Amino acid sequence: MLTIQNLHKAYHSQNVLDQVSLELPQGQVLAVLGRSGCGKTTLLKTAAGLLQPDAGSIKWAGESMDLVPPREREMVYLFQEPLLFPHLSVFENIAYGLRVRKVKEAEVQQKVEHLLQELELQEHAQKKPSQLSGGQRQRVAFGRAIIFLPRVLLLDEPFASLDAQTRATMQKLFLRLARKYNITALFVTHDVKEALLTGDRFAYMAAGKIKIYTSREAFIEDPATGVRDELAFWNSIDQKITPLP
Amino acid sequence: MGRKILTTILASAILLTFLFFGMLSVGQAWFYPGILPQRFSLQSWQELLVGQSELQEGLLLSLVLGVGVAILSTLSGFVISKEISRAKYKNRWLLLAYWPFVLSPVVLAILVQRFFLLTGMSGEVIGVLLGQLILAFPFAVIFFQSFWSHEVLQLEEQSQTLGAPAAYTLQNVLLPLAKPLLLICFFQTFLISWFEYGLTQFIGLGKVKTLTILVFKYVNEANIFHAALASLLIMLPPALLLWLNKKFIFRGI
Repeated sequence: MLTIQNLHKAYHSQNVLDQVSLELPQGQVLAVLGRSGCGKTTLLKTAAGLLQPDAGSIKWAGESMDLVPPREREMVYLFQEPLLFPHLSVFENIAYGLRVRKVKEAEVQQKVEHLLQELELQEHAQKKPSQLSGGQRQRVAFGRAIIFLPRVLLLDEPFASLDAQTRATMQKLFLRLARKYNITALFVTHDVKEALLTGDRFAYMAAGKIKIYTSREAFIEDPATGVRDELAFWNSIDQKITPLP
Repeated sequence: MGRKILTTILASAILLTFLFFGMLSVGQAWFYPGILPQRFSLQSWQELLVGQSELQEGLLLSLVLGVGVAILSTLSGFVISKEISRAKYKNRWLLLAYWPFVLSPVVLAILVQRFFLLTGMSGEVIGVLLGQLILAFPFAVIFFQSFWSHEVLQLEEQSQTLGAPAAYTLQNVLLPLAKPLLLICFFQTFLISWFEYGLTQFIGLGKVKTLTILVFKYVNEANIFHAALASLLIMLPPALLLWLNKKFIFRGI
């Protein structure tokens, strides 16, 4: 279980994370909804060890991660833009985490080929990232992150730059693989629909503070999340386009 | 047609310089109003290639200094430039890097000469190497600023969270990405050292005789044949650079 307690971080006396606490059981996805500048990225980067908090603690299975460097945390941060290594092929990008861990070549081949099939990228294995579409690049980034089964995936609006159709495909793919590989993930998004689709648990973040909901219903009912407003909007559109009898 | 003429003029301008200095380097006894030297001899070339001449030592010294300055400034510039790109007061550090270029090399030499005198490095090769680094190192720092973009720093972070130690990230991500820039910087800093005169003369006290120093010496002695040979040798590295990049240079004409 990932446990974050009273995390605090300020830039120039402005609180970016304000006493953030959460618990995330293994194999679950916590969808964190929040607008731009609410502190979501800082939360994920702090969890990954890329930023040092001013106060608070991060634990995995009861073990403190505070002094563990990013490379040993096994918590992969996925950037909003799919940051692939431009000089490596799709195959080598996905194999990166295995090569770092000095996994035997035969096992690397077998695991990468299997994942390429899962991601429907077999025919692109030898291509360079610049030859791929945005959705394909994001799939490679996702595959590279999960191939060595990290403790936690930290997803920072990973599908925000994709078009609506590709985004929907990626959300389904994420859900399928998250279930299959029992992935524990903090999924940050500003999209209400995406949060509802991907999360097992729900949280809302604003001005550095986080609110954890006990259920999906509680998340939907809270006016702060804007879920009800969004639903009302789509209902009104639906009524407008429904032909009168 | 116009492109062809321009290319021919540019290529001729480069080749004629080599031909002229090549002719002078094998000449002997050239007196007014003769169009060409009265005699031709390979003596200067033989001295350079076979015997232990001043020019041969100058060539070797220039090569050693050039390669040394290029390696040290490229590697240290790569590392320090990264630290500056992540520093809180990035612009202040960069301003410091521009400082040697605001002053002329000779003025800079006067400013730092006391340090070299006190440390006993005046007139020594090590002193000249350090002196040339005063110019080449900041150049490398400024040069690599364009490499350490937000994206490259994020790629480094990505590699870390995927479990890679710093050395692995350097070897497998940063160096392959920076390879073209590292090569350009190496060559540029080599040329800075290769052509450097002011600092070398001032710190070297005339005892460290690089090719550039020798060209000026021969010109002052009115020894045009040795000056031509030394000039020819000085022009070789940039000519090599032109040759390697010919498709990029001539494509834009």
